[in-house]
Amino acid sequence: MKAKWWSVALTAAMVTGLMSGATIYASAEEPVTLKVFSNLPDRKNGQGLVEQMIIDEYMEENPNVTIEVEALDEEAYKTKFKAYAMEGMPDVVNIWGQPSFLDEVLEAGVLAELNEDDYADYKFIEGSLEGFKKDGKLYGLPRNTDVAVFYYNQKMFEDNGWSVPSTYDELLELGKTITEAGMTPVAMDGGDGWPMAVYLSDLLYKITGDYKETVANAVANGDFSDEAFAQATQLLKDAADAGLFQVGYDSQDYGTAMNLFTNGQAAMFYMGSWETSMALNEDIPEEIRTNIRVFTMPTVTDGAASATDIEAWNGGGYAVSASSEVKDEAIKFLNFMYQPDKLSKYGWENGVGMSAQDQTDYMTGEETELMKQIVEIVTNATSVSGTPVNDCGPSAFKTSIESEIQSVSNGTIDVDTFLGNIGTACK
Amino acid sequence: MEITGKKKTPIGKIILWIALIFVAIIQIFPLIWLLDFSLASSNEMFTNGLLIIPEKIQWGNYVKAFVDGNFIHYLKNSLLINGLAVVLVVLISIMAAFACLRMHWKLNGLVKTLLLMGMMIPIHATLLPNYKIYSTLHMTDTIWALLIPYVAFSLPQGLFLMTSFMSAIPVELEEAAVMDGCGIYRIIFQIITPMLKASIATVSIMTFLNNWNEFMMASTYLSSPKWKTLPFSVLEFTGQYSSNYAVQFAVMALTAAPAVLIYIVLNKHITKGVAMGAVKG
Repeated sequence: MKAKWWSVALTAAMVTGLMSGATIYASAEEPVTLKVFSNLPDRKNGQGLVEQMIIDEYMEENPNVTIEVEALDEEAYKTKFKAYAMEGMPDVVNIWGQPSFLDEVLEAGVLAELNEDDYADYKFIEGSLEGFKKDGKLYGLPRNTDVAVFYYNQKMFEDNGWSVPSTYDELLELGKTITEAGMTPVAMDGGDGWPMAVYLSDLLYKITGDYKETVANAVANGDFSDEAFAQATQLLKDAADAGLFQVGYDSQDYGTAMNLFTNGQAAMFYMGSWETSMALNEDIPEEIRTNIRVFTMPTVTDGAASATDIEAWNGGGYAVSASSEVKDEAIKFLNFMYQPDKLSKYGWENGVGMSAQDQTDYMTGEETELMKQIVEIVTNATSVSGTPVNDCGPSAFKTSIESEIQSVSNGTIDVDTFLGNIGTACK
Repeated sequence: MEITGKKKTPIGKIILWIALIFVAIIQIFPLIWLLDFSLASSNEMFTNGLLIIPEKIQWGNYVKAFVDGNFIHYLKNSLLINGLAVVLVVLISIMAAFACLRMHWKLNGLVKTLLLMGMMIPIHATLLPNYKIYSTLHMTDTIWALLIPYVAFSLPQGLFLMTSFMSAIPVELEEAAVMDGCGIYRIIFQIITPMLKASIATVSIMTFLNNWNEFMMASTYLSSPKWKTLPFSVLEFTGQYSSNYAVQFAVMALTAAPAVLIYIVLNKHITKGVAMGAVKG
């Protein structure tokens, strides 16, 4: 008897579970539910806050639309993205306009094509849509413009009589001077791999003046024997050998490196332009946050690029699912987000970095010196590099370069082995 | 006599105590560290010392964890899902152990081996296939999406411990019960189960601890906040590039608390349980 009772109870419970799991979609006039899959789990700060503000605004203007957000951090996001790619995507998703991510996704055909002409008035910065295209068709829109920069503590520089280096040799020389003064020259997040890969890309760009084709060929053939790669890697190694980075940089993560700088223990911090919000962060001592300034990678000897050719790219962005049952509403929401007074303006006001659209209209004149400086760097740029090298190949290549770069910088493996290994990972 | 005499010398005792205290410190230090960091501010975290003395004790971290981290809601889900998983694992493993060990049927050995082989399957390998199955059955984002794998992955271990325990119980007991007119369910639940207390505690705590911190399956199979469990609370404070570490420490301290509590309550049984299981297994 007991066994029967149990089986009945279990079956009943299973059936209820099954029924509650079914989702009901409605047509466009009736209540619509939009599912947004985001890589910004923190909805109360930074970019996540900006995204949530726009979502709330959209729901207010369109009372029939409910937007459900599912947010995971980057690693879990990418795993689940694969699961969704098999069984149907949420309606609006975050993507990265880089071959290491987008190639596989577009091959699976899970993203809806967008009409590029619709975005003529959206003031996208020239070239920023390129990473989101395949065979001339547009599949996504970029969210940010990221620039690789050295943040430095201006007051510390002035007090000690140091000046901003204009060549790479000067930078290494300055590093030695700072070390002698008992401080860390550059705080580097070497534990994560990607910031150093960006540093390498930055150097490669300064050497070649344009690495897109060289890198594309190297990735396609799995052959990184081009002289420029060896040269750039050697320059990175020189910096590590000269003690430019903090002790133990190859195992310290983002937060540790950044705090070395914001605590005043390091004179410089190599990171992306999204950290301009440091100037607004009240957790950072005022004496430090008001004195943060930036410069970009100085020129290298015999390099083809000038000081105003900068390492900058458009990374993250949004796309609409090809299988979405409410595609029209999803595209409407996407377009709403990209209206120039939404992502761009809110992002600017919250100091989350540069958007991929022209922001000059929203300058209030009350920006921090740091923000103004970044805008100036981008406005005066004579050319930009595009996607950093680590994101230019398949995901195996990305994993390989981001782990091997620590070994090559600290001398565990030599330059040729490094280039050989990342080449093998492409095949 | 000589040996026991030696053990009681004060020097031996002191050495024993020092060794035990040393081990205890190593074991307890992470918890102290967790508590310490959860009361500091994010900026103080990157100093050189092992522990920090916060300038001002930041109780606000805990307030944030509770309010912004949806702590209560996630805790409720975690307790419900883990509680159900523990009950199901214990129940099924007792019944399965009895069926494979004491009942005579053709395939009892094979079934037991098959179930135990489940221990060899890595969880991550099943992630995407399971997602596909759940999706076809419209079971993603329901409590079953978590409950089924949690029970399934804890069951082999539970069965393993239960069978080794059960084999220590004399068959004569059951024979006596049958003589007195006991049915099979009464034998299992009234005669055998009370004697398995130590192993039930062990299986319970292992199942509970295994699933309490599980995130990969939860993040893949769930999408709405309805059934999300405690590990998601940490995520609410993960930024795109850097995170609010201090509040994350507070969330982790709160998440660890129930697990530690349960361990302390069941501690006496688990030590006994694992030791006995090891001898008989």
